Amino acid sequence: MCEANVYINRNGKEELLMEKVDRIIPGDENNIFMESIFGERRVVQARIKEMQLVHHRIILEEIKRAAEFQEQEIWLTLDTEHGHFHDGEEIKLNLFKGYNMKANQDYTFSNPQVFMQQYGKSRECPLHINESMIEVNLGEEADGLIQIYARESGDKELYAKIFVEVGHHHHHGVEPAGLPLEIIPGNYQHARMGENYEIQVLKNGLPLSGAKVKATYTGTSNNDYPHHLVTDDDGKSSLFLTARGNYLFSVADEDIISTFTLTKSF
Amino acid sequence: MCRDMPPLELAIQFHGHICPGLLMGVRASEFAIQHLELERDRDEELLAVVETNSCGVDAIQAILGCTFGKGNLIFKDYGKAVYTIASRDKGRAVRIAQKYNANRSPLFARYRELNNKAELTSQEKTEQENLLGQIFESIMTAPFEDIFQWREVDFSFPDKAEIRKTLECSVCGEGVMDARAVITANEIVCPTCCIDKGGE
Ligand SMILES: [Zn+2]
Ligand SMILES: [Zn+2]
Repeated sequence: MCEANVYINRNGKEELLMEKVDRIIPGDENNIFMESIFGERRVVQARIKEMQLVHHRIILEEIKRAAEFQEQEIWLTLDTEHGHFHDGEEIKLNLFKGYNMKANQDYTFSNPQVFMQQYGKSRECPLHINESMIEVNLGEEADGLIQIYARESGDKELYAKIFVEVGHHHHHGVEPAGLPLEIIPGNYQHARMGENYEIQVLKNGLPLSGAKVKATYTGTSNNDYPHHLVTDDDGKSSLFLTARGNYLFSVADEDIISTFTLTKSF
Repeated sequence: MCRDMPPLELAIQFHGHICPGLLMGVRASEFAIQHLELERDRDEELLAVVETNSCGVDAIQAILGCTFGKGNLIFKDYGKAVYTIASRDKGRAVRIAQKYNANRSPLFARYRELNNKAELTSQEKTEQENLLGQIFESIMTAPFEDIFQWREVDFSFPDKAEIRKTLECSVCGEGVMDARAVITANEIVCPTCCIDKGGE
């Protein structure tokens, strides 16, 4: 028995973080990567406080990230209550800029573009620049499953992606949009609270392993992303969905930050 | 409603919030469906005897359709997280009891501690939100036998409730079911009026 249980000190309390850990790699930006003998992987913002090797205990101390370090990212949301549109409904989306699904009120977009992609074809969508966000209106004609992505180039290259479903159809798997850094939903149809949800990260169309993916959900009271994932050798990782609202996945690599909004049917 | 709602969502909508007790009830309900091989339209043929009146019972009501109003939910005030689900069609019943240790981990303890506080700081609110997420995952992914014990039980269905007469209370004038009224030679008194009069 060489593996250890990892505990984390949060607000003065010790919590069990992961059992039977056999690999711990301290990364940059105060990240610690750990992997258990069951293959579970996790990244936390923490530093090692104590290692009790005889007791197989490793104690971490949480590091709170200062708000100033937060990178601005962009994300798309659907302007509808129930996750999809019905035939003939006006299809509206919003593009936000901020962090952790909290829109930055003093946002400035520099030359944002939004594209809709369906049946292998892409076209640019007209934008309405609003006070707190950008509105995208696809009109009433659209039907089926449409992939929407947004792009903005500034200091960093920002991408956002979402799917729009019009009417009730059955879609099996979704094609990548072809972004330089992109999050692909494993099973677009099946995103339910109380179940695992798998995503894959592609860089230039190829699976990116070891990518750090952050995940959050609508209405979180966390200042920073509550979930941190690391992709496996196939560029995949999964998250157990426990929140009612929509989820946002975000991945950064070199000078690109790419998000994917998961709209839950429930 | 656009689609069939998953059981978990049904329970949350009915109960109004997500809490560990409700999720335990969801697991118990889902187990009953699977174990008794229940069909979707099962409302009328099921009966639930619940030994608690806390959060988990709302999952039983929402998911299994056993409700007070339909009379197929029987409450025994034993203060135990125990649910007996019986199917008339299948002629089978299963008694599902939450294990004592199922909600005893430090996660649950801390969650309850925060839940009992009158007011939470923003930091505590975040902590509670994250704790609930972890508890949620632990309840929904735990092997069923880790959190519940169950066994098939013999069950005799009570006869269908007969329709009772409604009488008029001599004191307040409101209607009262005959079996609940106190009937004397010259008065019919409802339980409310009986208690108000100190049981005179
Ligand atoms: Zn509750
Ligand atoms: Zn009365």
